[in-house]
Amino acid sequence: MLLPDDRFGLGLRTDHYEEIADGGARVGWFEALSENYMVEDGGPLRWLDRLRRDTPMALHGVSISIGSVDPLDGRYLDDLARLVDRVEPMWVSDHLCFTALDGVQMHDLLPLPYTEEALNHLVPRIQTVQDRLKRRLVLENVSSYIAYDASEMTEWHFLAELAQRADCELLLDVNNVHVSAFNHGWNPLDFLAAIPTDRVRQFHLAGHSHNGTHIVDTHDHPVADEVWTLYRAAVERFGPVPTMIERDARIPPYEELLAELEIARRLASEETPA
Amino acid sequence: MSANAGSLADLQRAFQAFMLAGDTGFATKVRSGGRASREIGLAVYRDGYALRLIEALEIDYPGLMAMAGPADFELMARAFIAAHPSRHPSVRWFGRHLAAFLAATPPFSATPAAAEMARFEWALGEAFDAADTIPIDADALMSLASDSWPGLMLDPVPSFRRLTLAYAIPQAWAVREQAPPGELGVDPADRPTPWAIWRADETSTYRSLAPDEAALLDALAAGGTFLDMVGAVAPHTGEDEAPARTATTLRLFVEDGMIARFRLSD
Repeated sequence: MLLPDDRFGLGLRTDHYEEIADGGARVGWFEALSENYMVEDGGPLRWLDRLRRDTPMALHGVSISIGSVDPLDGRYLDDLARLVDRVEPMWVSDHLCFTALDGVQMHDLLPLPYTEEALNHLVPRIQTVQDRLKRRLVLENVSSYIAYDASEMTEWHFLAELAQRADCELLLDVNNVHVSAFNHGWNPLDFLAAIPTDRVRQFHLAGHSHNGTHIVDTHDHPVADEVWTLYRAAVERFGPVPTMIERDARIPPYEELLAELEIARRLASEETPA
Repeated sequence: MSANAGSLADLQRAFQAFMLAGDTGFATKVRSGGRASREIGLAVYRDGYALRLIEALEIDYPGLMAMAGPADFELMARAFIAAHPSRHPSVRWFGRHLAAFLAATPPFSATPAAAEMARFEWALGEAFDAADTIPIDADALMSLASDSWPGLMLDPVPSFRRLTLAYAIPQAWAVREQAPPGELGVDPADRPTPWAIWRADETSTYRSLAPDEAALLDALAAGGTFLDMVGAVAPHTGEDEAPARTATTLRLFVEDGMIARFRLSD
């Protein structure tokens, strides 16, 4: 598995293309959103190729719909495999959820029930994707706003069991852990404690919208204090895992995200002294 | 597990029915408790679904937004979402049927300029995303031997799109950011006007076409030879003028970066 020399990165967003091309990345790596570049040609791929020349990248998808009861989308996997060949990413991630059913795309990360049935459904699908992409798939825990009556285990036990059975890796989204913990009233440290340390490939950090009664994962604010606190705990448990900040709305100037990433560097260095 | 719990497939179908149509059966499969109530949690998903798709349309159709204003745009978008659920993994394709929807669906069809604006804006986006190519330059064309010209065939760049618009859509689109939301006016054109849209360098661009230019481009894009193009131009210029006018216009198109390659018919 390739690893960046500098393990701190940012999400690649069109707003920052010009500035990165002119002033350099100034981060160790970028996370590019797969679906934005799963096209035949044109503007998005021109930019991706140009920026990839100087900076390592990971690919992060939102639509593989790994948990759906629809068959895996062969055309989607072909397009993703072609993009993987082009980008040669450090790793490829998507979300542990379902996003489409009966061919209709909801464009949302809909949670799965934490059941033995869901585990049995997911494991062969993940293995199919891993065979197709010739690498382990990295799956991210999502923020959730409902819990199923049907669930038989906690989210963290489900994730740990899935990683073991499917031999996949995990993208630990620290903000999502915080959001779901708040919404469902559980302790985020219980989540971290149950995740196997050798399965976490990457950390996500992001901002959210706090509505008093509930938190929504909106990626439109700076990382919240509580999430920084949880990030310290995550670094303490999982060690120097590649970390990046996601921002998808109210996208600030690139310099502002670089400054926010410095906070992650500082906190991580305090938890993992050289 | 309670009696309300269902199989994975049942749960997913119930969740989708709730998001797309507000079906309330899903609520019985969701656990209450925790800080956020069941109703609040469900609303996050239901509201988020519509807002994400509306946002995708706002990104693709700023001119339509300037014409309609936020309230009417949202009404239009919700009607479109209900009629055309997304079927592509990338949300960027969600709005591709909007122009046809607006043209065919009351009350939107009563404002034909809206459907034309949607056609124009989608074509601009397609031009931006089209495959790359290096256009030929005029020297390559002009160096052809004169006896080769009758069989000359040209391919437009992949980003090339041709529209005919009854309203002054591109003129209105150009000032969309100056008009207060909902107040962008679109005048009827003096007559239906042909337009070419393509990508030059890294920017989508467009220009209106004289009737003979449009006839030439249509013959070219249909795979016609230079002689076919002359034949298409002749009704507009007269037969004597047509060959020279065709050659001059082709040179302009080449210089504008609209032509990807040329070849000679057998």
